[in-house]
Order: sequence, then C-alpha cells, then structure tokens
Amino acid sequence: MIRIYPREEYCTGCRLCEIHCIVEHSESRDIIKAFKRERRPQKRVEVEESGHLSFALQCRHCDEAPCVDACLSGAMHRDDRTGAVVNDRDKCVGCWTCVLVCPYGAVRRDVGERKVVAKCDLCPHLEVPACVANCPNEALVMEEV
Amino acid sequence: MAAQGFDYVIVGNSAAGVNAAAALREADPEGSVAVFTEEDRLAYSRPLISYLVAGEVDERRMVYRGVSFYRRLAVELFRGEKVLEIDYRRKRFRTSQRRALAWKKLLLATGSEPSVPPVPGLKEVPWKTFIGWDDARALLRATRHPGCRVLVMGAGLIGMKAAEAALARSARVTVVEMMDRILPNALDAEASRMVEERCRERGMEVITGCKLMGIEPRGRGSGIAALDDGSEVGFDLLLVAAGVKPRLELVGEGGPSVNRGILVDESLMTDLPGVYAAGDAAEAWDMVWEEPRVNALWPNATLQGKYAGWNMAGRQAPYPGSLSMNSVEFFGLPVLSAGVVNPPDPSFREMTEHFPDGTYKKVVIHNDRLVGMLVAGDIERAGIYTSLIQERMPLRRLKGTLLSRSFGHVYLPQAVRRSRILEGEAGIRAGRGA
Repeated sequence: MIRIYPREEYCTGCRLCEIHCIVEHSESRDIIKAFKRERRPQKRVEVEESGHLSFALQCRHCDEAPCVDACLSGAMHRDDRTGAVVNDRDKCVGCWTCVLVCPYGAVRRDVGERKVVAKCDLCPHLEVPACVANCPNEALVMEEV
Repeated sequence: MAAQGFDYVIVGNSAAGVNAAAALREADPEGSVAVFTEEDRLAYSRPLISYLVAGEVDERRMVYRGVSFYRRLAVELFRGEKVLEIDYRRKRFRTSQRRALAWKKLLLATGSEPSVPPVPGLKEVPWKTFIGWDDARALLRATRHPGCRVLVMGAGLIGMKAAEAALARSARVTVVEMMDRILPNALDAEASRMVEERCRERGMEVITGCKLMGIEPRGRGSGIAALDDGSEVGFDLLLVAAGVKPRLELVGEGGPSVNRGILVDESLMTDLPGVYAAGDAAEAWDMVWEEPRVNALWPNATLQGKYAGWNMAGRQAPYPGSLSMNSVEFFGLPVLSAGVVNPPDPSFREMTEHFPDGTYKKVVIHNDRLVGMLVAGDIERAGIYTSLIQERMPLRRLKGTLLSRSFGHVYLPQAVRRSRILEGEAGIRAGRGA
C-alpha cells in the first residue's frame, strides 16, 4: 500500500492540498462546480500552521487503527485490497466515536443528507493522491510500503 | 466433534466476543473457536438501538458482523444457545440446547444487565429497559401511536438515548434523574447544561434532582409515578435506565474472582488459568484512574476483546488499559469526552474555554499529564486530546496551547511530532512514560 508523508521544511501552508482534496471528493471533480455549485465535501487533509511551521496531515492508515476498533457500526474498516482504512458511508451513522479516538484528528464530520464521517481514502481512482499531485513544493510525498 | 469441545470458547457475541474471535483467528489459524450467544441474532451494534427506534438505521444496518465474518474466520457461531452453567474445575459447560461441551480456553464476554433500583410498585408495571434489540422493538411498539407518554428513569447515556429516540417517535417524554443534572458521568456540569437546554427546547421534559418514590399501576402498562418533591408523572411506558452492571451469573462457585466485574490482569486473564474476561463484564485496568474499573463502553469492549483474543492464542500483548470515553450528540450538539471530566479533588487542574461559535472545551491535568478532556460544539480533531491522555506524556509547555482553537501537532515538540507522524507512534501505541 502507499503512505503519504509531509515534509514540513518545504510546506508553505498554501493549502492547495486541501483545495484539491475537496475537488477530488466532490460530485463532479470539477474545481468550479465543487466550490461554487455543489455541496462542498469535507476536506480529508488538514494543514496545521503556527508561525513558520506548517505541514499537511491526513489519515496515517494505522496498522492497528483505533477508529476501526472503536467504530460502533462496523462502517470503518481496512480495505483488504489496498490496505487503506476506509469508511463505508452507507453503514456509517455519524456517532463520531472515530473522531473521539483518532490520534491525528484525521477523521472529520461530513454532514449532508445524512451524518457520516469523511477521511483520507488515498484517492483510489488516481495514480497519485490529489494532495500529493497538486503540492507545488513536493511537501507531500508518497511512498510504497 | 470427536473431542466434544473446542480449543477456544467465547461466551457472548457482542463487541468483546466478536473482536476476540477475530483476534484469536489472527493469532491462531488452527485452533477451533466457538461463540455462544443466548440471542438468536447475528452480532449487532447495541449502541445503534436508539438509531433504529428513531428510524435513522434499518434492521440490515444494525448488523455489526454478518454471516461472512464467521465463515471467513472459520468461527462456529451458536445463536440462541445460552450457556447455562460452567464447571471451571473440569473445564466443561452446559447449554440451553442440552449440550455438554469442553473448552481449553474460555472467554467470558457476557456484557452487562440493567441495574434496577428498588422502587415500590415497580413490579406492578411491565417496565422496559433499553440495552438490546428486543428493547428497541418494545419501544417501537409502545410508541406506534403519537403522544404515548414515556417516562424514563435515569438520565445517563442509556436513558437519554432512549428519551431522544422516543421523542423522534412523537412520544411525550419525561426524564427523571436523581442527580442534579443529566449525563452526570459522561459530561461536566457546563456540557450537561448545554445538552439539557437543547433537549428542553425540543420538548423533552427533564426533571433533575428528583427520585421516584413509588409507582401506581393504571393498567395496560401505564401508571403514575410519584416523585420525592410531591409531584406525579403519568406514563404509558416506563423505561428503567438507572445504569448497568456486569452480568456475573456464570461466575458462581469455583469461578474467577470478582469485584464489581470479573477481575482480569494485563493479559485479560482472570485468576483462573485459561479463563479470560473482556467487555462490560470485566473489571480491567483503567489507565487514567490507575486502578481496575468497569468501563462499560463499546470502544473499551472491542479493544479488550481484541487483546483477550491475542493473549488467549499465546501472543504476548499487554492490554494498554481502559479509558472512559463518550461521544454523544443531542439535537445537533455533539459532545466528546474522555478520561476525568469531573475531577474528584483539587490536585486536578481544570482549564476551560468558551469560543465565539459556542464551542466549549475543557482539559483536566494531573501531575503534569492530560487526564481528561471534553469538547462540545466544534468537535473536529478532539481525538488528538484523547491520544495525549493515552500517551501519558508530560505536558510541560504544551499546557499553554491545549485550549487554542487550532490545537494540533504543530504545538508538540518536534521529536514527538515526528514519531507520531512518521513512525505512527501515537495514542495507545505510544504510551510514553506511563
């Protein structure tokens, strides 16, 4: 599987990763439509910033993932094929237990028609995840592990 | 079954039992595993019964682990087969299907049952409780006509979820709580006030600081409850939600030692070799209170089940300890809490903050370590606090940043930040300086 790592020495905090994450997880995957017309999905990557320090952080896809262990409904699970920790949005009930136990703050509420959570799915439709591909500074790198 | 038995027998098919079965199979591909449950159902998510009543999930989505789970793991599930008696000396047990079987290693994952306070007259009415699927069915049936008067005794998590679900069914709901506020264990006074305000706004009647003194039946399940302030509340359905206690009926003579729950060591083993306990029935080490405690909460049960399974199969996996934690949302106000939210003495330091958007945050510090947190409102990223509680890391200068709006990894020392992000050493996996 792949893992994404931040390189804080190159991150300027431009938040393009957040923008392109939103676009990739939008209905149309079109930047204008995603931001101007459709329900804007929750971002799955977060730029943390304080003074000169900044970096982007998304789900670590932990080996023994606390969100999977704690999930009340059985929605949060590991995809056997990709190794990614993913949420079955149909099974998710939005109880926020995963939000409570994620050590990285990487699971967020995504409230539309139903209450569910959103998290990094490593962009299964893309060769390179959107946040990594669109970082102008290579401050996010992808590694095969 | 030549040997008339199993290598591993699990009593209970909920959070602890199911996760133990998966962990057993992971650590021991060969041994025979059997799960016994008195309920004639697949493993379902008990916390979702209020969602079922409110119509937010259907019966299909109640299923926590389906048939394929047991098939894939080659785990034998005995549904609707209750374990009646265990002979701990001869390592044998008897079931409701008149089977007598042997076990090599045993897990007691029997869960909890409602505590029923001795209220005069309670025996005269067909009261219900709210911890299982059948209870959800009963509440659905009772509330099929709008305006049904539901009286909930107890404003803990179970009582409040039942009350919320009944309200969603257009019932007229009254909650009576002995303590001076709702959710007295899961929340602090301020968060209780915030949630209570929402509940009242939505038409739930909440009576706190009041005791039920007696019940007078009025036929067909209805009755009148007398409160200790002299007032009376009429009801068509009485729900008893005065807390839960470990189910210990299988412990009996020659069984493992018990305090409130079944006492277990770091490997989730009881004081009888080969006999383990996990979940609501177990009294395991609590990492914050630093003593054995019953933490009857789903995430603790799943984790205990997993560690019990690993240890039963011979893997050395010390249980990192339980942590009381709650996620609740009532009428659009989510609240997350973990660890100590109501400090018992002044050696605990509380810091709180109200933010302009209405968000309320609290952290509790003891011996320079984070031991408790509560966030109401904007709960995003609150899990970082939970992980810091689990890590037992000395806070030092971090204290001044804990309540900042954007609290996150940027404020952690670089070495800690790197080992968390690059090595994945966070939460119970890190447990620094415990």
